[in-house]
Amino acid sequence: MIPIELFLLLSAVLFSIGLLGVLVRSNGIVILMCIEIMLNAANINFIAFASHSPEPLAQIFVIVSIAVAAAEVGVGIAILLRAYKVRKSTNIDDLTTLRW
Amino acid sequence: MIGSISFMEFAWLIPFVPLLAFVIVGFFGTKFKGGGGLFAVSCALFAFAMSGLVAYEFFTGSGVPYSPDPIQWLAIGEYTLNFGIYIDGLTCVMLLFSSSISLLIFIYSIGYMSGEGKGKRRYYAEISLFLGGMLGLILSSNYLEMFIFWEIMGVCSYLLIGFWSFKHPDGDEASAAAASAAKKAFLVTRLGDVCFMAGLFVLLWSFKSLDFGVLFDPAEIAGVDGGMILLGILLLFGGVIGKSAQFPLQDWLPDAMAGPTTVSALIHAATMVKAGVYLVARSYPLFVQNADAMLLIAVIGGVTAFIAATMALNNMNIKRVLAYSTISQLGYMIMALGVGGYIIATEMAHGDVSSDGYTAGVFHMMNHAFFKALLFMGAGSVIHAVGTEDMRRMGGLSRKMKITSFTMLIGCLSIAGFPLFSGFWSKDLILEAVMEPSSHSIIFVLLFVLALITAFMTAFYMFRLWFMTFKGRTGDASAHCHGESPKSMTVPLVILSLFAAFSGFFIFLGLNDVITFSVIGGEFFVGGHGHSAAYIMDHIMTNVWTYVSIAISLAGIVLAYMMYARRSIDPAMFNADGKSRIYRFLTARYYFPQLYDQISLKLGYSVAKGVEYVDENLIDGTVNGLSNSVIGTSGSMRKLHSGYVRDYASFMVIGVITIFVVLYILVTSGGV
Amino acid sequence: MEFIGLEIPFLYLLLLVPLIGAVLSGFTHKNRKMAKYVAIISSGITLALSLMYIYALSSGDYFDSTSFAWIDTEWIKISFALGVDGMSILMVLLTTLLVFLVSIFSGSESNSPNTFFGLILAMEVGLLGVFLAQDYFLFYIFWEVALVPMYFLISGWGGPRRHYAAIKFFIYTHVASLIMLIGIFAMAMMAAGGGPWVVGGGAVDFSFAAIRDAMENDMFDKVFQTAIFGMMFLGFAVKMPVVPFHTWLPDAHVEAPTAGSVLLAGVMLKMGTYGIIRICLEMLPDGAHAWQPVMIVIALVAILYGAYACIAQKDLKKMVAFSSISHMGLVLLGIATLSELGITFAIFQMFAHGLITAVLFMVCGIAGHNAGTREIPLLGGLAGKMPKFAFFMMFGFMASLGLPGLAGFVAEFGIIMAFFEYLAGTAYLWVIVFALASLMLTAGYYLWAMQRTIFGKETDRIDIKHVHDVSKPETLALGVLCALIALFGIMPWLVVDMLGPTVDMICHFLGVI
Repeated sequence: MIPIELFLLLSAVLFSIGLLGVLVRSNGIVILMCIEIMLNAANINFIAFASHSPEPLAQIFVIVSIAVAAAEVGVGIAILLRAYKVRKSTNIDDLTTLRW
Repeated sequence: MIGSISFMEFAWLIPFVPLLAFVIVGFFGTKFKGGGGLFAVSCALFAFAMSGLVAYEFFTGSGVPYSPDPIQWLAIGEYTLNFGIYIDGLTCVMLLFSSSISLLIFIYSIGYMSGEGKGKRRYYAEISLFLGGMLGLILSSNYLEMFIFWEIMGVCSYLLIGFWSFKHPDGDEASAAAASAAKKAFLVTRLGDVCFMAGLFVLLWSFKSLDFGVLFDPAEIAGVDGGMILLGILLLFGGVIGKSAQFPLQDWLPDAMAGPTTVSALIHAATMVKAGVYLVARSYPLFVQNADAMLLIAVIGGVTAFIAATMALNNMNIKRVLAYSTISQLGYMIMALGVGGYIIATEMAHGDVSSDGYTAGVFHMMNHAFFKALLFMGAGSVIHAVGTEDMRRMGGLSRKMKITSFTMLIGCLSIAGFPLFSGFWSKDLILEAVMEPSSHSIIFVLLFVLALITAFMTAFYMFRLWFMTFKGRTGDASAHCHGESPKSMTVPLVILSLFAAFSGFFIFLGLNDVITFSVIGGEFFVGGHGHSAAYIMDHIMTNVWTYVSIAISLAGIVLAYMMYARRSIDPAMFNADGKSRIYRFLTARYYFPQLYDQISLKLGYSVAKGVEYVDENLIDGTVNGLSNSVIGTSGSMRKLHSGYVRDYASFMVIGVITIFVVLYILVTSGGV
Repeated sequence: MEFIGLEIPFLYLLLLVPLIGAVLSGFTHKNRKMAKYVAIISSGITLALSLMYIYALSSGDYFDSTSFAWIDTEWIKISFALGVDGMSILMVLLTTLLVFLVSIFSGSESNSPNTFFGLILAMEVGLLGVFLAQDYFLFYIFWEVALVPMYFLISGWGGPRRHYAAIKFFIYTHVASLIMLIGIFAMAMMAAGGGPWVVGGGAVDFSFAAIRDAMENDMFDKVFQTAIFGMMFLGFAVKMPVVPFHTWLPDAHVEAPTAGSVLLAGVMLKMGTYGIIRICLEMLPDGAHAWQPVMIVIALVAILYGAYACIAQKDLKKMVAFSSISHMGLVLLGIATLSELGITFAIFQMFAHGLITAVLFMVCGIAGHNAGTREIPLLGGLAGKMPKFAFFMMFGFMASLGLPGLAGFVAEFGIIMAFFEYLAGTAYLWVIVFALASLMLTAGYYLWAMQRTIFGKETDRIDIKHVHDVSKPETLALGVLCALIALFGIMPWLVVDMLGPTVDMICHFLGVI
């Protein structure tokens, strides 16, 4: 059996990559992708713990999470598409109308 | 009492009707013909008639002061303040001469102010208020009530002195001067009024009441600390100094000549300045509690009489000379009252005593009211005719204005103390009263000498005024004089001249028993116990000082005649090349105006500038500095908030990491 | 409360009528004249209600109250408690009167009148609420409610520096009232049986009655009272204002529109002194005794400082603003004597000053509007062109400098008498000189200002041809005020008799009678 620490390590690495991407990239699409990576890092955690437990609860969470992530990407892409139509750019640094 | 009607019960109508006239004329004067002048006159006539009836009823009555239960004005804690009337002999005498002279002045005004147009309404309303204030003050039954009317008169004098403080007939300069004079009159008397008010606090605190009935009760006085009474009477006298223009607050009165002449007559003869003397006479039971205070009062009176007379010696303005003479005569009255009080204060403990000084002072106040009203109205008649107040531009007017010049002559004789004229009797009584306690202190001898010199100067400057105006060369202003003044002005003059000539004889016709003050068996009595007429007559005629004073005033008259009528002595020799220091000193009024200005500048304006500086820079500076520092700090803090979500997310991540690191260290080091 | 056989809920109506008026006048933007009539009618009804109420109360001791539980939980009790006594009904009368007259006076306001009058009526709700509240929480809410419309009045209808003045006014008084709020919490918690900062014992009840009971049961020790007195006093002192917390006042007045100035000086400043009497003296008597010397010093400084500052002013309105500081200092002096005489006449002075200062600010407003400027050096000789204006100005100034026969004198006399009584018999009797000196200074700056504005040479520094005299509605408002000033000067017992029971109660708590 693969020790759980390795799963957690993979998950942490993936989460950090995602977080870094959110923080440093300015392209909206890339940021959405990075958020997906962070979500999936969390999902890996759930699955890893689920394999060590007889309870099905963790697996249910993962399925819900995937569904929510899909919805979230749908909304996010839609917003970006609208923004692109107005501003001709997906760079979030250009979308500053509501910034003080 | 006539039938079952008691007029004294309705004595409150005496001030009330003129006050009502103020309201009616003030608001509806334009509806009346002549700006409500006749209405004001009829109200004054009512006040005079009512005063006569009240006085008649009082004098035919028992002589006990009449003071019905007052209306309670305020009652808080242990203090009670009332509103009521108080009638005794002094009240009646004051009422009679104030209302009669005011009535004559009101009548005179109809002629004098005929050219005023729309301003007449304001004029008649204000003089009605003035009269109401004076009559109210005379009838007051307590000090607070007195103070209220006292201040009402103050504001009336402010309004009337400043009557021409805008749109002056003589142009802008004159209106600015009138505005300034009115302000000065109000502020200087206000200084006295504040003292008066402080005196009220002292007395109210000591007696828990301000009613005369309580304050003049020997039993009550005995229960109060002497120091408090001394403080109280000195503060009350501070009010007198302001109102009656005594040294060192005398300087507002000459400036007050900026108002119409009728107003000057009203202020000087019938109301305002007499109020101060009346206050001293009224407060005699309190004042005589301290001999030293009375001595101080006498000295202030004497000094005032003297310095005011000197200032009148070389003044060229006809009204100003009269103003100085008023101050000087008021000094006489105060001196007489002070001396009389001194005698009572020192001898009260040893037995029964009565006061000649009191009689002399009040008597002189009455006589002065008549002749000073006459003089002012005469001067007004002259000014009305020639259009200037400068005596150098007058002269030779006696041919054109016979009535005015003759009545003025009577006034001058009276004030100069020419034998048998009214001023003679009262001035002589004063001189005698001053001499009476000369065995007590050398100060009284000095005061007597001062009074004699003043008598000489009075005779001189009054006749200087008369000769310069009516005799000698015809001046440029009197050249286009259009003759005698109208009837409404000359009739009051004639009536007043009768009084000015003969009012002195009242002292032999019963007045001797009315205006007296005596202490008998430890009780105070106003009225009664006076000397008999024969005694007074005998006293005056056999006294050597009487003849000295007659000689002195004759000398003054003769000197004035030589200098200004015959011109055998050239007046210019006293001021060769205009360089005489004394001359300039007198013209500058002893530099009192400058002194006042400097004090108000230093204590008022300079401090105010300092306060303003502190306010704008220190206090407001601190407030604004505080807000600026908050704004500055927030300005630098806001740079942290870029508005980019990723920056906030970075901060969050850094925060989370920091917390984990700290917790890790804490856990591993076993701290928690 | 019963009025000629009818049961009328005066306490609620007094708040409800102006509130309805405020809302209504917001809907009148279509017809520009409508707002004025809505304001005059609703404030007139409020005035009539307050007069009827006083009449109804006059048979008793001027006490009435009503209350219902507003927030009633296990831990906290806030009641919508309203009530009056002699002092508060007097302040209610002052408020309703001034709002009514101001509505008449400002009838010609043309800059969005619907909002203007709406704000004035909204302010009336807040002011009345402060004087009627019988619950600390409610008191605080109304206290802040009154602030907001004033902010908008200044920043919307004010002079050139209005935004600065409005923000200064708002922040200054708001910060001070926050300190007051902490004091309120401390008192309520202490009364509930815990410590000043700890909840303990029973529910925290904010009503006046509960806290007064706690005070009477000696639950507030001397140290606690002294500390809380300081906090509450600070809140009220800024509102009054006293030196050195006064600098918001001249700025606010100079920039505020006339109606705002009248209500600010006429009523709003009284909230401060009302609070000191109602809360500091009534609930914290030991604290009052501890703070007495400080209050006296502050009062004397305020009186003299305000008077001196007046002398140096060039703007007529700023001068009047500083004179308010001086006269409110007099109120504080009366309160600080902690005697029956002093407190009675301090309340009298609050009322008298409200009337007088309203005249003064209206006069200043007319000067600014009709002559085009309020700068004293630019004016002169106006009495010829504007006789009515000159009359009202002189009347107001004379009343303010304490001319006997007018209301200001009675108050001044009583307060300084009380101060004398406090000093008499001690070695500090000479301190009375400072109080007396202020009388001289007051006369000085008023007369000097009059000499330079309405008397003397007619000015050529402004366009004198277009100067016109006081209009009819303005004359009406000023005339009513002047008549009342004279009435209460001649018959002060009308007011003093109302105050008797209230002052007796306060003095009883203070232990001085």
